[in-house]
Amino acid sequence: MGVMRMGYAHVRVTDLAEAKDHYANTMGLYETHAEGNKVYYKAWDEWDHHSVVLEEGGVGLVKFGWKVEKSSDIDDIEKKAQAFGVTVERMSKGENPEIGDGIRFTTPSEHVFEVYHEATLVGTEVGTHNPDAFPRHLVGVGVPALDHSLITAEDPGLMDRFLTAVFDFYPTERVQTSLDSDADIIATWMTSNNQIHQLAVLAGPQGKLHHFAFRLGDWVEVGRAADLFSMDDVPIDIGPTRHGITRGQTVYFFDPSGNRNEVFAGGYLAYRDRPMSVWTPEQLGKGVFYHARELNDAFTSVLT
Amino acid sequence: MPTVTIQPTGEVIYLEPGETVLSGLYKAGFAYTVGCRRGGCGICKVDCRSGEFRYDHPVADSVLTEDERADDTCLSCRAVPATDLTIELRGENVRLVSTFLHQINEKARQRAEAHAAATQTAGTTHKE
Repeated sequence: MGVMRMGYAHVRVTDLAEAKDHYANTMGLYETHAEGNKVYYKAWDEWDHHSVVLEEGGVGLVKFGWKVEKSSDIDDIEKKAQAFGVTVERMSKGENPEIGDGIRFTTPSEHVFEVYHEATLVGTEVGTHNPDAFPRHLVGVGVPALDHSLITAEDPGLMDRFLTAVFDFYPTERVQTSLDSDADIIATWMTSNNQIHQLAVLAGPQGKLHHFAFRLGDWVEVGRAADLFSMDDVPIDIGPTRHGITRGQTVYFFDPSGNRNEVFAGGYLAYRDRPMSVWTPEQLGKGVFYHARELNDAFTSVLT
Repeated sequence: MPTVTIQPTGEVIYLEPGETVLSGLYKAGFAYTVGCRRGGCGICKVDCRSGEFRYDHPVADSVLTEDERADDTCLSCRAVPATDLTIELRGENVRLVSTFLHQINEKARQRAEAHAAATQTAGTTHKE
């Protein structure tokens, strides 16, 4: 099936100590490794070695790692990326701690993607033998997993075509200038499976990060997360609210370096044969923030 | 007692020691365009017309260019006044969104001014 999920998000932080406090004590991630100016984390319901990497120095995205089902998928994606006109380099096992051989390329949106098949299996915090529903001593929000990301690109339509051609992603929802077949794509929500989106792309500057999101179960957990953000003086961007697009329940907030994070719950099941939902600009406010129904300036201008 | 004067209106805001410009203005009932409030997005930059400040955290090079570190640019969410400041917003003015908070800030400023004056007088008396 090719790409299974966004395996890791590797981001820059200006102050590693403050960032560690946020991701470990507020978000509840588990530190699995540290070396030099980098720290590696996994969430409790993830089994691979890490899903979040923090690197001290600057802000914004370093790269995303995408885990594929079979090692042959790496070769397949390499060929497709080259056919699309992208330069692909090989990466060796160990270039990323506990991650196997793979490929690395810069997308048409100027984001760095890595594709890999092997990661050291650490196991979830509840194990596989008669597992309990959740770990008893979660810290803070206690997110179970990394979920998705939103990035910006000058041409989201090009990224839609790129992700379709190279990753075999399909769009579940789009924002378009109109319903016409030749309309410009303003934003696209894409996935390879039943997850409502693994990566979304919004019109904006090249190479920028809008947010990366952690999964939660439902409204109650989203509300509790927002309470914890107030307790820990985490700046909330918006929420708790719902997205019209994806129907997900959400809080947008910022890490101590100003990278936008999200907690995201719900969203309906995606299928390749489900007709794509299309949003047009006059209802974009409702599409993004279903209750306020107003697009705040920060949504399109605040990026790292 | 650091104060921030906001041009062009000349509004004077009192800040607690160690408080950032952004935090002080919001606590005093004013609002303007801000983003992440953690130094990452650069949306809250203003111009510093006079006075000195320091940044209380490292600021990414992608947020403040070398030129911006040398010119009047003040990333207000990370800037802590070292002296009284005069600032001017870019392409907008501050909006007073809470007269209540503004009154509280004004009283705090008057109290701090009176306290400073009393301390100075007491100090002078002692020396004489």
